Amino acid sequence: MNSKKSTAYNNRLGIKGWVYAGKYTFERYLYLAHRLTGMGLIAYMLLHILETANRMRGVVAWEGLMGLFALPLFKMIEYALFAAAVFHALNGVRLLMTELGFFLGRPKEPVYPYSSSIKRHRPLTYIIMALASLIIILGGSSLFFP
Amino acid sequence: MRETRLWSWHLLVIPIIIVLLGLHFAIMHYAPVFYGVSVEEARNFETMIERGKSVSQLVLYILLLAAALYHGLYGLRGIIRELPMTPALGKIVDITVICVGLFIFAFGTYVTWWTFSYPVGG
Ligand code: HEM
Ligand code: HEM
Ligand code: HEM
Repeated sequence: MNSKKSTAYNNRLGIKGWVYAGKYTFERYLYLAHRLTGMGLIAYMLLHILETANRMRGVVAWEGLMGLFALPLFKMIEYALFAAAVFHALNGVRLLMTELGFFLGRPKEPVYPYSSSIKRHRPLTYIIMALASLIIILGGSSLFFP
Repeated sequence: MRETRLWSWHLLVIPIIIVLLGLHFAIMHYAPVFYGVSVEEARNFETMIERGKSVSQLVLYILLLAAALYHGLYGLRGIIRELPMTPALGKIVDITVICVGLFIFAFGTYVTWWTFSYPVGG
């Protein structure tokens, strides 16, 4: 592909580079989910600001819109949004801890059996994901069975 | 240095988002628990205007607007700029993202201000 001076990091795989990895570990799936939920959230937020601006068109326009959002379809979309936000937030906290170096354990000599910082971090990863699942399930119950 | 600073802000605004988005969800979905009004009432036109009249709402919404927009759009820019592109194209991506962000921020601020200054009883 083009070998001319390009950006500092030349991702020659293109869009495939977003999803390509030699080995799919648990964290790799989390990365994908984090990216998808992040894009979903920002897309929602842009629409949300335009949508809530409908209040400027008065009571009737606003109540009409809220009536629409009370439909089951929109309840489902809203729940998906909630789930996405909870996952993104909790996984984001995990990323923050990783990137700032918390709970990664001490660096070790690479002696067999290898223990990477990712592996040492993994129990915490499981705990955080269990917590996210719990919140998503509990949140769902209050949305659907008020 | 510049990229480091931009990325640091991406992380630094996260606590703001956690608190304010949590509050936003609480207002919208747990209104019966926190405010003693039903979830439907929480989204009524009057209830919304009523809420929007407080100075803290005005400030907090604009803060959430700025923080979440910055975090989200910076993230989006990173995702797009992972693709192979010339520096010129990268620049265009940056400028587009900045323009979208500034526009939405200005618009959202205007809407929040509109709510804040809505004539009482009108
Ligand atoms: C044959 C040479 C090398 C190979 C194949 C290699 C490979 C890698 C890989 C695969 C990662 C993980 C990347 C990621 O998580 O995004 C990494 C991270 C890192 N490498 Fe290397 N590396 C090499 C040499 C070096 C050298 C010479 C240094 C420093 C003097 C270095 C410093 C680092 C640092 C600081 C990180 C962590 C970056 C981060 O946390 O994002 N590496 N390296
Ligand atoms: C609720 C609290 C949130 C937390 C704790 C959080 C945390 C994070 C973290 C740690 C990253 C990765 C940063 C990095 O490694 O460089 C990230 C990326 C991202 N976030 Fe958030 N975030 C939150 C809310 C949001 C919201 C509300 C939006 C949308 C408006 C959003 C959109 C994004 C996007 C688009 C990315 C880029 C994803 C990628 O590069 O794959 N986040 N977030
Ligand atoms: C299903 C979940 C949500 C519901 C029901 C909801 C509802 C609303 C409503 C009714 C308003 C009007 C202001 C008010 O009533 O006090 C509003 C404003 C706002 N919301 Fe949400 N929202 C939700 C999720 C989100 C998310 C995920 C974000 C951020 C990523 C967000 C960011 C904002 C912002 C920044 C404003 C102020 C808009 C402006 O300044 O024009 N909301 N929301």
